[in-house]
Amino acid sequence: MSAEGLGPLESAEVSIKLFVDDHAVVRPHELIAVFHRWISEGLLEDELTIDVANYEHVPQGPGIALICDKSHYYFDVRHNRWGLRYRGRREARATGKDAVTDALTRALKAAALLENDPALEGRYTFRTDQVELVIYDRLRAPSEEATLEAIRVDVEAAIAELYGEAPRSLGLVSVPKEPFAVAIENASSPSLGELLGRLAPAG
Amino acid sequence: MEAVGSWQDKLKDRIPEELGREIDIFETQMKLRRRGEVDERLFAETRLRRGVYGQRYDNGHRHDGTQNRELAYRDHPTKGPETVWDAPGMLRIKIPYGKLTADQTDVLAELSEDYADHISHVTTRQDIQLHFVHIDDTPDIQRRLAAVGITTREACGNSVRNITACHLSGVCKTEEFDVTPYAEALKEFLLGHPDVQDFGRKMKPAFSGCAHEACGLVNMHDVGYIAKTREVDGQVQRGFEFYVGGGLGAIPHDAKVLTEFVTEEELLPLTQAVCRVFARLGEKENRGRARIKFLVAKLGIEEFKKLVFEEREQLPHDPRWTAYIDELPDYDEKPLRPPVPLQVNGEHTPEFKAWYETNVRAQRQEGYAVATIKLPLGDATGDQMRAIADIAREFVGDAIRLTVEQNIVLRWVSEADLPALFEALAAVDLAAPGAETIADLTSCPGTDTCKLGIAASRGLVAELTNHVGHLNGGTDPALKGLRIKASGCFNSCGQHHVSDLGFYGISRKKGGRLVPHFQVVLGGKWMENGGSFGLPTLAIPSKNIPEVVKRVTDRFLQERNENETFHEFIDRWGKVEVKAFLQDLTEVPAFEEDPSFYSDWGDPRVFTMEDYGEGECAGEIVPLVEFGLQSSEREVFEAQLYLDAGDMDRAKAMAYKAMLTAAQALVKTEYLDVTDDPDHIVTEFRTRFHETKRFHDKFAGAKFANYLFQTHESGGNGGRPEQARDQVQEAQLFIEAAYKVYERIGTQGAPA
Ligand code: SF4
Repeated sequence: MSAEGLGPLESAEVSIKLFVDDHAVVRPHELIAVFHRWISEGLLEDELTIDVANYEHVPQGPGIALICDKSHYYFDVRHNRWGLRYRGRREARATGKDAVTDALTRALKAAALLENDPALEGRYTFRTDQVELVIYDRLRAPSEEATLEAIRVDVEAAIAELYGEAPRSLGLVSVPKEPFAVAIENASSPSLGELLGRLAPAG
Repeated sequence: MEAVGSWQDKLKDRIPEELGREIDIFETQMKLRRRGEVDERLFAETRLRRGVYGQRYDNGHRHDGTQNRELAYRDHPTKGPETVWDAPGMLRIKIPYGKLTADQTDVLAELSEDYADHISHVTTRQDIQLHFVHIDDTPDIQRRLAAVGITTREACGNSVRNITACHLSGVCKTEEFDVTPYAEALKEFLLGHPDVQDFGRKMKPAFSGCAHEACGLVNMHDVGYIAKTREVDGQVQRGFEFYVGGGLGAIPHDAKVLTEFVTEEELLPLTQAVCRVFARLGEKENRGRARIKFLVAKLGIEEFKKLVFEEREQLPHDPRWTAYIDELPDYDEKPLRPPVPLQVNGEHTPEFKAWYETNVRAQRQEGYAVATIKLPLGDATGDQMRAIADIAREFVGDAIRLTVEQNIVLRWVSEADLPALFEALAAVDLAAPGAETIADLTSCPGTDTCKLGIAASRGLVAELTNHVGHLNGGTDPALKGLRIKASGCFNSCGQHHVSDLGFYGISRKKGGRLVPHFQVVLGGKWMENGGSFGLPTLAIPSKNIPEVVKRVTDRFLQERNENETFHEFIDRWGKVEVKAFLQDLTEVPAFEEDPSFYSDWGDPRVFTMEDYGEGECAGEIVPLVEFGLQSSEREVFEAQLYLDAGDMDRAKAMAYKAMLTAAQALVKTEYLDVTDDPDHIVTEFRTRFHETKRFHDKFAGAKFANYLFQTHESGGNGGRPEQARDQVQEAQLFIEAAYKVYERIGTQGAPA
């Protein structure tokens, strides 16, 4: 698909990852059944959920994936850190600052579903002071400082709106051949419920 | 930041012109299909031939264990019969003889991240598959691959599939000679060759450097070549023992010897003759009997041989048959670093020693070794693929190959580098020991992604991987070399027939409910190119398969005679005894007693067959003429685009080309050797269709044929620019007339 003249946050492939508080509680296998149930009960709003893919056998891999029509959700362990990753696919749902907000919102909602899932007995909780933003689009978002500068204002604005203050830092954490990745360090770590409460009603 | 363009712009200087053009054509075909201007069946085969495959649930339905749910995709034209456009699919990337460069490996890593689920999956035929890919992304994926010299062309569909070869070719101690440049020559020769476009089913070729090892698996291939030498007048002559008609599937067939020695000069023409016989006489209606193995069985190998050698005599000479031979001496894989031997001793860690013992094989070139990266279920992340590329750059350059056991090898490792290589691999979790042992299991995608899957072969293999530790496979030499392989259905993509312990997915009913099962196949021979097929024993519920493995291997350890192989042991034990031994494991508890039996490994849904779909392994059987006519339609569409853009010269040239393509397609229904030369096409068309009045229209007579003749006489581009519009319309009418003639041929049968 053509990408004429478009910036990094016009990409459909924007991803947000929220990390679990405690890696010791993670049993990835149990998430297969959880994600299947999300599909059958239609728990992810505004997503056409299709299938579950199991990659728990792959070290530092995508873990358990929930494949949707216009996004993927992963409970992944890239760089040995478990967390919930939302990742847009194919068609941008929003652009600029709104793209960050949209990805963050979807990641927060999915993470909240995990926190509250009865089968998981409250073992999974997420920190929000550290957030990872990745753009899987090497055409629009090469892994370089210039890409970070191009999105900095939008990311800071999206975080400020949600957290009530700008992030403490944004840092490029990917090397040139990797997908562009930014570590967002926030000054506080509000609960998922708190952050979701600050968002406009889902639509 | 620089402003971005498109991949097409960005890579235009790095994509070979022909590959770029093919991808542009595919993109146009996609546009035409979206507008409903190409038949879905034809489009399905078109995309399959570009490696763009369907995936489970792409009919827009999925059973969630309790009910069949419709997946509410956007309403688009389909991308094949009952195949939703927006449903994610699989992209198969053929990697000829599994050979990858570091740059190619980097690109595969990127593609898995940018368009798939972050995983590159190595198949049992040395391909890479990406899953959950959207069709709209496939042209850009193909461009990014083309920029590093990879094409997906003919990766699927009824064509010549990836040409496989031993991953040790060129470095193996037991090979006759390096088969790599021969595999490369055959690949180049057959790719897009007109004689391989009209098969009723796919054809899989394989090369092996020797007869006794497993790696080439020639015995189970449609066409296969085992390297051989002979002495003629005191000179060593290279050639191949040429096999044909092998195959797995529900009923496996051993390959038959077509000739005991085909010379280098005859390798390509004899293969071409086989392709022609297969295209002409192979089954086209019943796809279940359309592989070449059925033709060979039907005719008998002697009759098949006779036909092939007769065909060979009639082939018009092609200089490419022997051109590659001059280049053979230039083919050589060069090591990156000098050879330095290694003495493994007490200074090395136990982890290194365990890995060294199973994953390292000395090359025939002293001081060098091949290191195997054992991939669980053939899967590697983007990060791992990138790491492999970097590690290869540091230690071996571009000497990377995929294996039929779903692993990756690095060749030409200077032995002294092995400890450092091990450390580098371990840092990215790629240094697991046990390669090519009982701990290195194989599985096809099964119900995870394959539309034809019945049971979860990947789930089973993941489970068995947890169990093989208990088998003491790491240390007991009798068990160590055994192979365990599973397929999701009888189609046997997991190659279970040639493993020691093989399984393929089936279903059985208990108390009105379906229960996932695997058929147990024991004692297949992996060595000797997949030398013989295992003994099908009995159907066992999936959840009891780990117990089958445990019991059978325990029994083998206890009762084997000295030096008896597993294959020999099963042979001696016999089907009746084996059945009796495992019979109790066929029992399925009632659902109320143990519901776990009613769902599959790694899939908590209640087991169902409702997701079982129409497979695309076979592809649609589309006659060659339909491809030609479709191409002519696409060309007239492109002519229209030129017209709209005011480029009259190109519009006229493209309209002329469209007419030629349609005429050529018709001529090919009876004369396959028509070339691309416009004079040749027009002459043959005139003789066969115009002078016989077969192209005449009931009312318009020779009018449409004359459009072609007039344009041709004017050099294809004659007339004033304003005539371009007329010429495009004439081309359109010519193509419609060609379709009508084709329909008539279809109903009346082609002339002899
Ligand atoms: S063996 Fe069956 S389930 Fe496995 S990939 Fe082949 S067709 Fe699909």
